[in-house]
Amino acid sequence: MLSTINQRIGLILFIIAAVYLFLSFQLPNYPYAPVDADVIPKGLGVLMLILSAALFFSKAIETEAEKEKRNIPKKELLVLLAVFAMIFLYILLFEALGFIIMTAVFIFFSSWFLGYTKWKTNIIVSILFPLGMYAIFVFALGISLPKGILPI
Amino acid sequence: MNAFDGMITGFQVALSWEGILFVLIGVIVGTLIGMMPGLGPISAIAIMIPITYGMDPAPALVMMAGVYYGAVFGGSTSSILLNAPGISGTVATAFDGYPMAQQGKAGKALAIAAIASFFGGTVSVIMLMLLAPALSSVAISFGPPAYFALMLMGLTAISSLSEGSTIKAMISAVAGVMVVTIGIDPQTGTQRFTFGNVNLFDGFDFLIIALGLFAIAEVCMLVLNRKNRSLSDDQKLGSLKVSRADLKEMSGPMTRQSFVGFILGVLPGAGATIASFISYIFEKRISKNPEEFGKGSIKGLAAPESSNNAATSGAFVPLLSLGIPGSGTTAVMLGAFLVLGVQPGPLLMTDRPEIFWGIIASMYLGNIFLLVLNLPLIPYLAKILSIPRPLLISLVIMFSLIGVYSISFNVFDLYMLLVFGALGFAMRVFSFPAPPFILAFILGGMMEQAFRQSMTISNGSLAIFVNSPLPLSLILVAFLSLVIPGLLKWRSRRKLAKM
Repeated sequence: MLSTINQRIGLILFIIAAVYLFLSFQLPNYPYAPVDADVIPKGLGVLMLILSAALFFSKAIETEAEKEKRNIPKKELLVLLAVFAMIFLYILLFEALGFIIMTAVFIFFSSWFLGYTKWKTNIIVSILFPLGMYAIFVFALGISLPKGILPI
Repeated sequence: MNAFDGMITGFQVALSWEGILFVLIGVIVGTLIGMMPGLGPISAIAIMIPITYGMDPAPALVMMAGVYYGAVFGGSTSSILLNAPGISGTVATAFDGYPMAQQGKAGKALAIAAIASFFGGTVSVIMLMLLAPALSSVAISFGPPAYFALMLMGLTAISSLSEGSTIKAMISAVAGVMVVTIGIDPQTGTQRFTFGNVNLFDGFDFLIIALGLFAIAEVCMLVLNRKNRSLSDDQKLGSLKVSRADLKEMSGPMTRQSFVGFILGVLPGAGATIASFISYIFEKRISKNPEEFGKGSIKGLAAPESSNNAATSGAFVPLLSLGIPGSGTTAVMLGAFLVLGVQPGPLLMTDRPEIFWGIIASMYLGNIFLLVLNLPLIPYLAKILSIPRPLLISLVIMFSLIGVYSISFNVFDLYMLLVFGALGFAMRVFSFPAPPFILAFILGGMMEQAFRQSMTISNGSLAIFVNSPLPLSLILVAFLSLVIPGLLKWRSRRKLAKM
C-alpha cells in the first residue's frame, strides 16, 4: 500500500490538511464581513487535501537524482541532529549567559565538532566574531543583545 | 516626472557618498556570499536585512539590491573554479566555465564571466529604466481583482516552472499560504490557529521563514557536504586577459542573451536559473559548432552569464512597478522593502521617487563596481572559497540566529527558526522546491486581502474575477500554466504507450 515515498508523504500531508481543515471549521463567526476569516483557510485545506491525494496517486517515478538526495547515511543524520542540539542549547542559554560567551562557545565547539582541526585559528575566530558582531549591533546599530554575565 | 528627470533624481541618491558606500558594501557582500557554494541570494539578502534596521530606506534598499545582483555576479566564480555553483543561477556557467578552468584558463573564464555579467546587467538596467515607469503608470489603475489574479498567476507560474514535480511545487505554495493564515486575522480580529499562544498572534515574521527555509536548510546541506573540496591554495588561475577575438566571439551571444534574460526575468516564475539554462540551450542550438559546447566554449560561458544577470535586473520590473515579486528571491527583496516601511508598487515611482529611481540608478554604478572588483581583484576574492566549511557553517548559523533575534528579541522566534530550518531541509531531501513556499508566504497575506476587497466591492459575487477582461485573462493564464505542462506530459506518455 505505502510502497513509494510519495505515497507516504502524500498520506502525511493529507492528515495535516485534514487537521487544518477541521480547525478552520472551528473558527468563530464574525457577522459583518462579506468574506469571513474562515473562507481562505477552508479553501486552502480543501486544496491541500486534493494535492496530497494527487501526490499519493501520481504515477511519477522517482528519478535517480531524487533518490540520491534522499539517501543520507545514518551517521550523517546523527551529525546533523547534533548540530541542531547545539543550536537548541545555544538558544536555551544565550539570554542567561550572554551573547558573547555563548557565541564564542558555540562557534568553537561546532567548528571543532564538524572537523576543523586548526584550533588556534578556531579560538581566534570564536573570540573575534562575537566581539565584532556585538560591537556592530550594540554600538553601531543600537540593537541590544543580551549581556548575560559579562559586565559590558 | 519623466524618465530623464527620474534618472537625475536617482543618480543624486546613487552618487551621494552614502549611495556609493552602500552600493559598494552591497555588491561586495553579495559577491562573497554568492561565491559560497550552497548559499544562495535568498540567504544573502535575508542575512543582511537586520543590518538595515534604522537605516534610511533609500541607501538601505540600494544596498540590498546590490547584495542580490552581486550574489548572481559572484556565483559564477565557484561554478568556474570548483564546478560547484555558488547559486542555482550559475549552474549553467559551470558547463563551459569549469572545462576552461581545467584547461588552465581559469583566469580567462572568470574574466569572460565578469564581462558578460556586466554587459547583461547593464543592458538589463537600461530596459528596466524604460519599462518599469511605463508599467507603473498602467498598473496604477489596477483594482483588487486584477491584483489578486496577478498574484495567483505568479504562484502558478513559479509552481509550473519549478524543477521537478509540479504537484510538489503546488503543495509548497499552498503550504506557504497556510503558514500565513496563522495569527490574528487583520480584518476581523479572529485568532486563527494560534492555540492561544501569544507568540503566534502576529504570525511568523518573514525573516524567520526566509532564514529557516534557506540559510539554515542550506547549512544542513553544507554539513552533509562538508568534506567536499574547497579551493586549494596552490590552484593557479592563469592570465585574466581576454583577447579581441574572444570579445568578438562572445559579443553575439552576450547581446542576444541579455534580452532573453531580461524578458525571462520580468515574467513571473522564471528568473535567473531558468534564464541561464534557456540561454545556454538557445546558443547551442543556433551555433555552427554545437559540439564545442561543454568543452570550454567561450559562447557557452558568455550566454548564461549575461542572461542570469539580465534576469536579475529584469526581476525588479514587477517588484518595483507592481509590488508583486515573481520569484523566491524577489519575494525576500519585497520583505526587505516592507521592513523599511516602503511599499513597492505603482505608487512608489510618484511617492518615493528617490527610492524607485535611486535603486535603478545604483544598478549602473553597482555593475561597474562589480566589473572593477571582479576583473583585477578576483584572485584575492576567490580566497574566500578556501574558508574551511566547518567554520563557515558555524558562522552562518550565528548570522541567522542574530538576524531573527534582532527583529523581536523573542526566544520563541529562534525555536521557530529551528523548526523552519528542519522543514526546509526535509523539503530539500524530498525534492519539494522552497521558492514557491517563500513566494506564497509573502504573497499570501496580500492575496487574501485583495480577494476580500474584491468580494466587498462585488457584494460577495465571484463574478468580479471574470467580468472584466484583465483579471479574466490573468486567471486563464494562471490556469493554463498549470494545465499545459501536465497535458504535454500526458500526451508524450500516450505516445510512448502506443509505440
